[in-house]
Amino acid sequence: MKFYLALWFAKLMGIAIKLVSKGRGTNLPGEKALTIDPDFVKHFKNIDYSKVIFITGTNGKSSTTNLITHILKENGKKIVSNLEGANLLGGIATVLAKEASLSGKLKADYYVFETDERYLPLIYAQLPAENMLITNLQKDQVQRNGDPDFIIRKLKEVVNPRMTLILNNEEPRSRFFEEIARRSIYYGVSRHDESFNKGADYPTQACPKCHHDMSFDYYNVDSIGAFHCDFCGFASKSTPDYEVTDLNFVEKSFKLKNVVFHMPYDLPFMFYNYAGALAVCEEICGITPAAATKSFENFKNIGGRFEILTYKNKTIKYMRIKQENPDTLQSALNIMASDPSEKMVALGLYVVNDFVPHYINTFYAFDCDFKPVVESNVERYLCFSEHVSYDTANRLIYDGVAKEAITIMDSDDINEIFAEIDKAETDNIYLITWISTFEKMKKFIEGGQN
Amino acid sequence: MEQTIKVGWLFNNMFNLHGDRGNLLAIRAEGERRGYRVEVEQINLETVVFNPMDFDFLFCPPGEIEHFEAVAAYLEPHRKELMDYIETRPMLVTGTTVGLFGETISRDDQSAIRGLGIIEIEARENHAVYGDDLYYSCQYNGKEMEIIGSQIQMIDLDIKEESPFGRLKYGYGNNGATKFEGVISGKGIFTNTLGPVLVCNPWLTEEIINLIEVNKNWPIWEDHRDNSLEQASLKTKIVHIDKKETRLKDIAVR
Repeated sequence: MKFYLALWFAKLMGIAIKLVSKGRGTNLPGEKALTIDPDFVKHFKNIDYSKVIFITGTNGKSSTTNLITHILKENGKKIVSNLEGANLLGGIATVLAKEASLSGKLKADYYVFETDERYLPLIYAQLPAENMLITNLQKDQVQRNGDPDFIIRKLKEVVNPRMTLILNNEEPRSRFFEEIARRSIYYGVSRHDESFNKGADYPTQACPKCHHDMSFDYYNVDSIGAFHCDFCGFASKSTPDYEVTDLNFVEKSFKLKNVVFHMPYDLPFMFYNYAGALAVCEEICGITPAAATKSFENFKNIGGRFEILTYKNKTIKYMRIKQENPDTLQSALNIMASDPSEKMVALGLYVVNDFVPHYINTFYAFDCDFKPVVESNVERYLCFSEHVSYDTANRLIYDGVAKEAITIMDSDDINEIFAEIDKAETDNIYLITWISTFEKMKKFIEGGQN
Repeated sequence: MEQTIKVGWLFNNMFNLHGDRGNLLAIRAEGERRGYRVEVEQINLETVVFNPMDFDFLFCPPGEIEHFEAVAAYLEPHRKELMDYIETRPMLVTGTTVGLFGETISRDDQSAIRGLGIIEIEARENHAVYGDDLYYSCQYNGKEMEIIGSQIQMIDLDIKEESPFGRLKYGYGNNGATKFEGVISGKGIFTNTLGPVLVCNPWLTEEIINLIEVNKNWPIWEDHRDNSLEQASLKTKIVHIDKKETRLKDIAVR
């Protein structure tokens, strides 16, 4: 009875929230239902766990979930998914409550859920998915996650011999789980024009199997690329089961299993999402790459990390990074560096304010290579954001930027930021900052300051 | 002949969590500013010959506890040499790895790892992570200074027969229950401070190089570095600390 009360309450609450604000209520109804019935998610009926797919890992969860769901829907499948990105147990409970009948029955071909890697054991305890894609396990949100091994230990609580894993072939920590799962499918990306190397003084990582040093032949994305351990022989496979090849940045196309795909986003981290999504669609859901190709023509990623604003005669290219996450910062730097035209670089790394205590962390920037940006025709630099701007500037100075070439602004004042942008002769502005400052800048422009 | 400072970077690939490479950049930049050649040698499990006394400065960054046993096994034969080394020469150990140089690391799963026993501390892995700013005063190479940085605490440290490196002005420090931050043993600094600490606090970097100059019988460089950028950073971070909400109670000294 508790389950039914929780279900009806969640359904009503979901409707009520949607009436007030359409984009909200992705988590709260489920959270409340879980207080009424702590095993709420476990009690839904008709879920075939072999049709449940978890998408977890550090980066790329949302985009991969979106793409899988899109491909499956375009191929006529009925999908239940947490596309709005509420990836804790409450978010999944909310979606299930919304999609279920009044008696708690569900009817879907597949259940595709983005799952927060930290909370995976809690989610799995109520929804034992038999399929899981791990995007990558990297340094991220150290204030809550500490180090990658902290997350690996969480995943070890969940991965078991009944599972099918879809693993990133070129990411050693994810590949570690192949030893536990019943079946592992590997996806990857071949070397391409934007693959890169880092200097010998950039650390790599320890082999997750024998602790010795790993080597990377190249990176497709920071910390992800063809790897090998000389000590124990652990290495990426030369031909993974699903490999994105023939990446053509001019024609915006790629191939997988000899099928040509349109590339909806030409950002290197997206290529892994393409490969992973296609692997899931064929191996778990029976949708072949040939059947999936058409859905790439009209794929729109929700909440992407790249946006363009027009301000006066200038183009502001905004790249959202995850704070405390060197890999997304490196990807953003690589995008800037690949543009040879004159540019202004505005960097607003910021106080980490996810929860109390807020704290200052810019150390992850020292994992990133700024030199290619410094050598890519930068007219001027702006380092802004209260309490953090001096450290940001210092990071640039350590990679060879003269102190005099940097405007340091110990402030997040939008007017001051735009005043600095006005001073740039170039119309090509790259911006990295947190979403809140960006949203204020967007409003400033939309408010007619253009 | 060019004068050379030789730096040993211990387990740089295995212990690579918090932009720690920045500390090497800071040492290199300050050494080069004084006209020295700075050579950095990476020490890893494959290094056949490791003699600490071949180096003028050793740096061991924070790492995952998962790898501690492998590193402890490698360093165990060098334990005495490392103890002798820190009597006179500078070594910097940061973050979780401080525990490795202590006696025992008690893990959250009730298992234990035997540390190197170079410093007399006990380490306990925490169930949850604690991240915050870190601000304290300390003395190194005879100079009083303030240190600013951050801390990602995965293990708590209990000092037995050692001196703390710093006295907290704000932060969690060794275990959230005392005003102690890190340990100093001889010339070895064992600290929770990330930042990277030598980038954010060039006054400490300068003292490390001063000590190397003394050890090598070189004249002390008189021309001080321009630290205005880092001083400005320290100042604004203190403002941030003064106004922020904290979960720390007794030890959150303002």
